[in-house]
Amino acid sequence: MASPPLLRAACALVPTHGFTRRALALSALSLPQPHEQPLSDTAINALFGEGDDARRTLADAWLENAREEVRGRFQGRAQVPRVNEVLEARLEANEPVLRHLPEAFALLASPTYPLPPLDPRPGLKHAFKVADDACRIAGEATIGTDWYVRRGTLAAIYAAAELHQLTSPTTAYAFLDTLLAASATAKSSLDDVGTFANYIARSWAGIVRSSGVF
Amino acid sequence: MVRNVFDSVASKYDLMNDAMSLGIHRLWKDDFVSSLKPGRRGPMKCIDVAGGTGDIALRILDYARETYADRETSVAVVDINGQMLKEGYRRFKKTMYHNTPQVSFHEGNAQELSKETFPDNTFDLYTIAFGIRNCTSIPMVLQEAHRVLKPGGTFACLEFSKVTNPLLGSLYDQYSFSVIPLLGTILAGDRESYQYLVESIRRFPSQPEFARMIQDAGFSTGGLFEGKGGAWRDLWGGVACIHTGVKL
Repeated sequence: MASPPLLRAACALVPTHGFTRRALALSALSLPQPHEQPLSDTAINALFGEGDDARRTLADAWLENAREEVRGRFQGRAQVPRVNEVLEARLEANEPVLRHLPEAFALLASPTYPLPPLDPRPGLKHAFKVADDACRIAGEATIGTDWYVRRGTLAAIYAAAELHQLTSPTTAYAFLDTLLAASATAKSSLDDVGTFANYIARSWAGIVRSSGVF
Repeated sequence: MVRNVFDSVASKYDLMNDAMSLGIHRLWKDDFVSSLKPGRRGPMKCIDVAGGTGDIALRILDYARETYADRETSVAVVDINGQMLKEGYRRFKKTMYHNTPQVSFHEGNAQELSKETFPDNTFDLYTIAFGIRNCTSIPMVLQEAHRVLKPGGTFACLEFSKVTNPLLGSLYDQYSFSVIPLLGTILAGDRESYQYLVESIRRFPSQPEFARMIQDAGFSTGGLFEGKGGAWRDLWGGVACIHTGVKL
């Protein structure tokens, strides 16, 4: 992609201008070699897509930027961070643009075609990517089904916390912690149930085998 | 070669375009121009290269006038071929743009535009429709485009490209290798020129290759993919394709 400098500059303008074509147009003024005038509509169409598609490109770039920011924050640390810390850092990254975020998510969720009326995929993808990043930064070495379960759980938790953050920014961190703690408890209970079920099943198998039916 | 081909087809160029593409080239050109939105934010200085018969220039001026009531946008039409320019000039005489500063015709080579007529950093929009594949050196054309555009100016190219769908691809191959030269023979009495047209389409680089060439010339483009926010947009599954780039 040849326009990351522009998109990076535009991301810096999001707190003041929101996820708008105006932010994209003004980004040319903060390049290393600044232009005299903002980018024309034609140029924005050419680089980022027509109409709201340009805003979608900007929203995607901003989400990518925020993830990068979180990765950068934990890079080179001697101590491996916990998942909680990483997700909290990601919520913090939302703060400067919080009032524009509902609009951005609405934009990402509104499909270009009339059907279906709502497209949940970009939102799910966003939450999953954050969860995946968090696992990677926290150095979690899950494999197989656990890999998916862990990421799925974290994505759901993060999505819930982010939604919470949109309406009540200050309590979002506590909410995230509660959810993570609850999921940990649920996981350990589930594991216990699994162990117990396994034990019962084995016993039954032993009984059936020893009964001489087979 | 190109000069001869187009000299020989100039008078029947538009008729043949309609016959060969079944009129679809008009839809593509309309789509091309309306996607650029000339005149949206004030008048633009445009240059239409290889635009001899004025198809694109006329659409740009009409679009700016009808949509944004803009009568200040201007187009410089450049073509290597005098005959084609004459056709364009004749056509513009039938319109309100004749003898106004809105349109000018220049005979020139897209690979080396004259520096006096077209100084550096002059234009807001550079268009080239169905022309770049006929140039000997595509990188040189792109460099010249980069030179004459202002910073923030847009390069837009409409060109035949590679069909991505194999089924459509084979139909399209059948059509272009059997029907088009035949039409050339019947309507224009000139099989070879039309054979050349078909072959030149096959030799043209594919969408991602051409997008990379645009980047190599110094333009910024969208991502290297088709569609929204990408460097190119396929029309009719890649029969034609719109490539865009911006000089930063």
